[in-house]
Order: sequence, then structure tokens, then C-alpha cells
Amino acid sequence: MRPDQRETRLLETAERLVRSSPADETEVLLAEGRAMLTRFSANRIHQNVGAEEAWAVVRVVAGKRIGVATASSLRAEALDAAREAALAIARASEPSADWPGLPGPQPAKAVDAWDEATAEATADRRADLAGAIIASARAKRCEAAGAVRTDDGSLVVVNSRGVAAAGSQTQATVHAVATREDGAGYAEGVSTRIGEVDAGEIGRRAALKAVRSRQPRAVEPGRYDVVLEPAAVAEWLEYLAWMAFSGKALEEGRSPLSGRMGEKVTGEAVTIWDNGLDCRTIPQAFDYEGMPKRRITLIEDGMAKAVATNYAVARRLGKWRSTGHGLPATSAGECLPLHLFLKGGRSSARRLVAEMKRGLVVTRFHYTNILDPMKTVLTGMTRDGTFLVEDGEIVAPVRNLRYTENVLEALGRMDGASRRLVLVRGPYVVPTVRIRGVQFTGTTEF
Amino acid sequence: MKDLAQRACEVMAGSGVAYGDVRVREDRKETIAVKNGRPEQVTADRSAGFGVRVLVDGAWGFFASHRLEREAVEAVVGEAVEIARASARLRGEAVHLAPVSPARARYETPTAKDPFAVPLEEKLALLTGASRAMKGPNVKLAEAFSAAYEMRQCFASTEGARIEQRIVQTGGGIAATAIGGGDLQVRSYPNSFRGNFATGGWEYVEAMNLAGEAPRVAEEAEALLAAPPCPEGKRTIILDGGQLALQVHESCGHPVELDRVLGMELSYAGDSFLTTEKLGTFRYGSEQVTIAADATVPGGLGTFGFDDEGVPAQRTPIVEAGTFVGYLTSRETAPAIGRTSSGAMRASGWNRIPLVRMTNVNLEPGAAGRLEDLVADTDDGLLMMTNRSWSIDQKRLNFQFGVEMCREIRGGRLGQMYKNANYTGLTPEFWASCDAVCSAGAWRLWGTPNCGKGEPGQTARVGHGVSPARFRGVRVGVKA
Repeated sequence: MRPDQRETRLLETAERLVRSSPADETEVLLAEGRAMLTRFSANRIHQNVGAEEAWAVVRVVAGKRIGVATASSLRAEALDAAREAALAIARASEPSADWPGLPGPQPAKAVDAWDEATAEATADRRADLAGAIIASARAKRCEAAGAVRTDDGSLVVVNSRGVAAAGSQTQATVHAVATREDGAGYAEGVSTRIGEVDAGEIGRRAALKAVRSRQPRAVEPGRYDVVLEPAAVAEWLEYLAWMAFSGKALEEGRSPLSGRMGEKVTGEAVTIWDNGLDCRTIPQAFDYEGMPKRRITLIEDGMAKAVATNYAVARRLGKWRSTGHGLPATSAGECLPLHLFLKGGRSSARRLVAEMKRGLVVTRFHYTNILDPMKTVLTGMTRDGTFLVEDGEIVAPVRNLRYTENVLEALGRMDGASRRLVLVRGPYVVPTVRIRGVQFTGTTEF
Repeated sequence: MKDLAQRACEVMAGSGVAYGDVRVREDRKETIAVKNGRPEQVTADRSAGFGVRVLVDGAWGFFASHRLEREAVEAVVGEAVEIARASARLRGEAVHLAPVSPARARYETPTAKDPFAVPLEEKLALLTGASRAMKGPNVKLAEAFSAAYEMRQCFASTEGARIEQRIVQTGGGIAATAIGGGDLQVRSYPNSFRGNFATGGWEYVEAMNLAGEAPRVAEEAEALLAAPPCPEGKRTIILDGGQLALQVHESCGHPVELDRVLGMELSYAGDSFLTTEKLGTFRYGSEQVTIAADATVPGGLGTFGFDDEGVPAQRTPIVEAGTFVGYLTSRETAPAIGRTSSGAMRASGWNRIPLVRMTNVNLEPGAAGRLEDLVADTDDGLLMMTNRSWSIDQKRLNFQFGVEMCREIRGGRLGQMYKNANYTGLTPEFWASCDAVCSAGAWRLWGTPNCGKGEPGQTARVGHGVSPARFRGVRVGVKA
């Protein structure tokens, strides 16, 4: 089905549900699509799955009492049941004194996020991509593990104040871990268009790293200058978003930016923004309340500038408009920036390494978690390609290390970044960066 | 449900698959979050559909649909077969399934109070009362939570299995967040991250006495703000049940999942240091350490009648007196170690394939008495309580856990409170340092409702029975 036809059908269904609701206010989010994923390990496909899915979220407000219910079907009886369940919750709840009402309509810019070839990618097409990765790995006598994923979906948000937003999106995501003996390497690619994902090249990059990371040397924990590749940078940004960039966290005083807006919170080289409209990310025209996505600068030249909001959080923070970062009504978190960018520099990934006297190159992190949200202290492991650099040259692979670090402070010690920004899973658009003195607190056996 | 499952089996049989199964499943979830005495989020979720898994030419295909219609069955089976044929283009050895007797059975979680039948007003009143009882000048967020899950499923296979199950899981808890002076400290009860969970009904939450514990929780959150950070060093530590449950989960439960060991999760969650040649000989821990996976223990969050391949729930020894002896397995993976399935395959929903998941991975009780006895038996150490953060490498060796609260132990008595305490180590060294486990009277089940694995991502609810335990010479107080 063409996306515009599906959007029209979803809009009609949502509008019918809103019209039939006896609540003071009603919001209906409907999503429908297919998610397909081919997973491989040891150079063979071992899991291969697909699903056609639907999701309905009904939020009703009756006398400032709010109820939310969901369904996994677009059939009238399922949607009516969700509306009734939401009404029952609202009736049992207490009024929310600071409820500002649902947002009214705002014009949204169109984005180009649909690709027919991605939507129609077959299991054979995904197997072809997996095969290309495996062939690249075999060429370097490696084994490949990873996944090829294609998604297509349409989303509509309709509310009783006149919001009626509709959009469709495709996404192709490929990632691979290549292994050879005790070496491992990682690479990934993501795009709205499957044709732009070069699986063979992803396999080659992962395999090259695997070959180079064999027989890793143990290095002592301590502070190292580090070149972080884009996947590692993105992981820190993701956690920063959870800790720092939500308007709700700011409002509740649990963001490290609480009470510090307008202050310098990290180094001047750091500028972070969110922009769902940028074609370099997986674009999205509106948020889960149907509010248009807006570019917001969260940190500019090291200074805290803004946080992401939905409509209710915006009003509680004294703003009139949502920034377009509302999450579905099922989320207690309410708002989050989902399309982060980190400003690049004037260097290149190669030069960042070449300029380093002694340090490490980190491909990506594993199992990061928050130790202290107010001080943005994270811990996690390196994986799939960690290398020692001496006098500007990679001299040896090293065993994986645990870092324990205040990441806002660490980003403040960034002394170089690539000009080129890369789209990585999330989606995040980030450069390769070099940071002085990242603290590693432990090692492992591989 | 049964009609749709039967129809799917007929269509699969007519499609020439070597094996096929179908799960027709409906999930209900109710989540309640109360913040500062007022409902913050109350949500009722329903999700229903069916998923078909087929083996064709020795390779797997899976497709699922939300369209619970007899007319959708042929198309869904057709998609699964097409996907399996694509898998077969790049398959290794053909998949062979360990045998299982096709069961015709029904299983239901026993509950005293069905959580979905308890009026919402009653549940809100309990949580609101608990939230309002957490007070303090710096307690900015006083939260109370509950969640209830119901899973109704009909499993059928081309081998003739027909199994119906209704699993009910319930839980809740409270958390006080004190904020001041640029610091934030959380204290929770009975466990962090929205509480503790079990199979059972609303009676489980009622028995928690959330309102009764609330003043202590708020007081401890306040006290943590003023407490000094945990000093660095190598110390004897005692882990309370909540923290030890997560230690078992991360450093034992995950590395014994045989699909991880065989590399099937390599690109995402990772693999495992517990490779198959270690089975039966590897020294995992001290003689104090005996661990079993038991899907039959009453009340465990990972308790059920049959797994999602129709294998009966069972108890599987994992570590016996320190020696590694068993894995969590599936019908596909078990033949790799010459065994039959341990019944650990579970899917998070109708739209996901089953994966090897923990059931209730339990540390068996020791002989060290109550927690108070173990503290009294410790001359110099730290008591670490309630998980705050967790991280472990992809082979499950190097870990670092943070806890909400830590108390100094001197001469067998609890003393100074510390905040931001954490400990770190390598799994086999850590478990080798275990010199005492509390007795059966201190043993209880903990639920981990947020266990992530797989691509596309799946969240499982699993259990861990533990009693507090002591570890010697552990590195603590890692700082940024």
C-alpha cells in the first residue's frame, strides 16, 4: 500500500475515534507498519523475522483527569475498547491541576523519509546484504555476525483541538561484528534508503578491524587521550539526552542542567543540537503529540541553552510552544530529543590519530550505564576494536577497558573533531572526536 | 485462540515445513505511577496477535501479525516460509531440534487477587498513601509504582503440542529522590527501578507494606544526601538480596544462556566466557556457590508451565558447589552439548521469536544465618544495598555495580552510611571470593522485569532467589 493511502486510512480511523469520544479532550495516535530483520552469526543466517504491527494510543481528558490506553489493532472494537479503558482510568484518577490542555494544530514541514525500495525489501534482499557482509568477512578469513533490518511505518496523531498530523518513514539498518581468532571489529550503516547502505563495505570495515585487533595487549587502567569513533560518541550523547536534555528532568531538578541554563556546563568546542528535520538524520516531521519538529540548540559553545519539551512540559516551564519532542502518551518521561547532532571540527578521523602522542582509539562502547546523573558520570566497556596509539600511529590492539567518567567534563576536554559527521544508529549525527584524559578504571581478559 | 492455532498448524503442515509452531497470544499490562501524592501515569495496554515459526530446508523463518483473523493465517504462514527459504540460502548446518513429547496441557498462575479485577481506585489509594508518606525537606520526588501483566497464550506445533497458559505477574514499589547541593540520591523499597515483581496477584503488592516503609525510605534518601562518598579500597562486602539478585542475573544468568555461548547474540548483547569445554569442570566460584535455574518455584517472576517451544518447566543445575555444570538451553541449542532442552525459550510477545531466557536463576541458601548474623560475623567490611547501576562486558567478565546505600561494618556492627558506593571485579574471581551465604530463612525471590536481549529487542521478566552473601577482597569506591 502506498504511504499516502495508508496515512489517509489511519487519519480517517483516528478522526472517527476522536469524534466518538465523550471526553473533554481526546488524542489518538495510530501507527502501522512492518518490521523485518535478518540476523546472522558465524557466517550464516540463524534468525530471520518479520511482523506486521499496529499500535494505537488513546489519551482522554475528562475534567483534567487523564487516562491512557493502548491497543495493537486498528479494528473498531479494539479501538473502542482502548477509548473506554482510557475513560475508566480518567474517571478513577485525580484531576491534574497543571494540565494545560492538549496542544492545538501547528504547521509542520514536510520531510523526505520514505523510500519505496526499503519498504518493499524482501527477505531475499536482506539475505543479499547479509551475504555481502559475510563475503567481505570471509575475504579476510573472518566470521561475521550482525543484522540487516528494514522498517516501514506510518504514524498519525489526531486530537480534539484540531491536530491532524500524518507521516511515513522507512529505515534500513545494517551492523556487523567481524571476528577472527581473538580479534573483533564493528561497523554499521543506517539510512532511510536501503540502496544507500553499502553492506559489503560495512563487512570490509568490520573485518579489517577484526584482523588488526588480534592478540590484544593488556594496558594498565588510567587516563588516556582517546579518539572516539562515531558509535562511541553517539552512546555518550544518548545517555546525556536521558540525563540532561529532557525538559521534565530540568523541571524536576534532576537534570545536571537544572538551575544552570545560560551557564557554561562544558568546553567551548561542544555544541549539541537536535533537529528531526535535517535530511542527514532519519527525518521526522512531527512528534508523538503531532507538534512540528523544531531545531533546538541544547548546548552551544559549552553553554546550556535549551531542553526538549512536549506541550505540557513547555507550558509548565513557562513556554507557549512545544519544541516538538513529545513522546507517546504512554511514556512517563514525556519528552526527549531523538535526533541529536554534535558539531564537528576541522580535522579528520585519520588526522586526529596522527596528532596523538599516546592514547587509545575506541570503536564503540558496551553496556554503558549511569553512575551519577547530576554529574553525568557513566561507566561502560569498550568493545570490537580498541587500539593503542603512539606517536601518531596505531601500534597495537589492546584488551577492552572499563571507563568511569563524567562525560560532560570529558567532552569539555575535546581538542579535536572530524569535519565529517556520520549518521549512526539512534539516529545520531556525530563526528569522530579526540578527548584528553578519559579515565579508564578497569580491564578485562580479552 | 485455539481455532486460529489449529488452522495455522494445518496450513503449516500443508506447506511442507519440516517443523512449525504458532503462538496466539494476548498481553495485558496495567502500569500505575504516582508522584508526589498524585497519579502521574496510569496506562492500560493490550497487545494481541499471532506468530508463526517454521523450519524449511533446515533454516528458520518467522512472521507475525496483529490480524487475529482466520483469513490472515495463510498469508502469515506464507511469509514465514518465504523468510525461511531466504535463510536457507545462507545457512550452516541444518537446524536439528532436541526431542520433546508434544504436550496437551493447560497452566495458570495461581492468584489470590487478580490484579486486573482489583478496582483502580483501590490500587491508586494504596500507592498514593505510600507516596504521601515519603516526606523530607529535600525529598523532591516521592514515587510509588505498580504494574500488572497478564499473558494468555495458545501454543501449537506441527508435532501435535497444544498448550494453553495464563501467566499473571504483579509488582510494585516506592522510591524517594532527595535533591540538593547539586546532588541527587534515590532510596527505594523493596527494590529499585519500580520495585519487586512476582508471579501472583495484587496480594503481592499489598504484602509489601509500602506506606509503612515509606518514612524510612524518605529518611534514608535524606541521609544519603549528607553522607560521604564510599572510600576507595579492597574490602569485604556483603550484598543484600536485591543487589545480589542482579549480580546473579548479570554474571551467572546471562553467561549460561547457550545461544550466547554459541555466538547467536554476538553482535548485540555479546557472547560468554563460559564456553562449552568448561562444562562440568570450570571453577565458577567457591564451594559456597550453588546455583540452579528453576522455572517451577512458586511465585518466581520466571515461573511458568511450559516454555515457548512447549518444553515443560524444570529445574536445571547451573553451578554445584562452585563447579559450572549446566546451561539454559533451547531445542535448537541443547544438542550442541548433547542434552535436551532445559525449557528456557521465551518470547516477549506474539511478534517476537522465543530466545533462550533466564527462568528463575537462584543462588541456593547457605548456612550463615540471617543478614544480621552475617554482619555480626564480619569484623571489617561494607554492607551494600539495593542496585543503582549495572554494567558488564560482553563476555560477562568485568562488571561494575553501583548501589543506593552502603553501610560500614566494624566489629560486627553497622556504622557510617556512604553514598555513591560501587564495586567492581571479574566474575570467576568474585564468586571465588564468596565465603558465606545466608540461610534458607533469609532466602527470597526477586523479580527482574526489564531483562533486555535480542534483535529486534525483547524485554523478559525473570526471577532470582537469593539470600545475602559475603565476598572478600573486592575493589570498591571507583570514582570518575
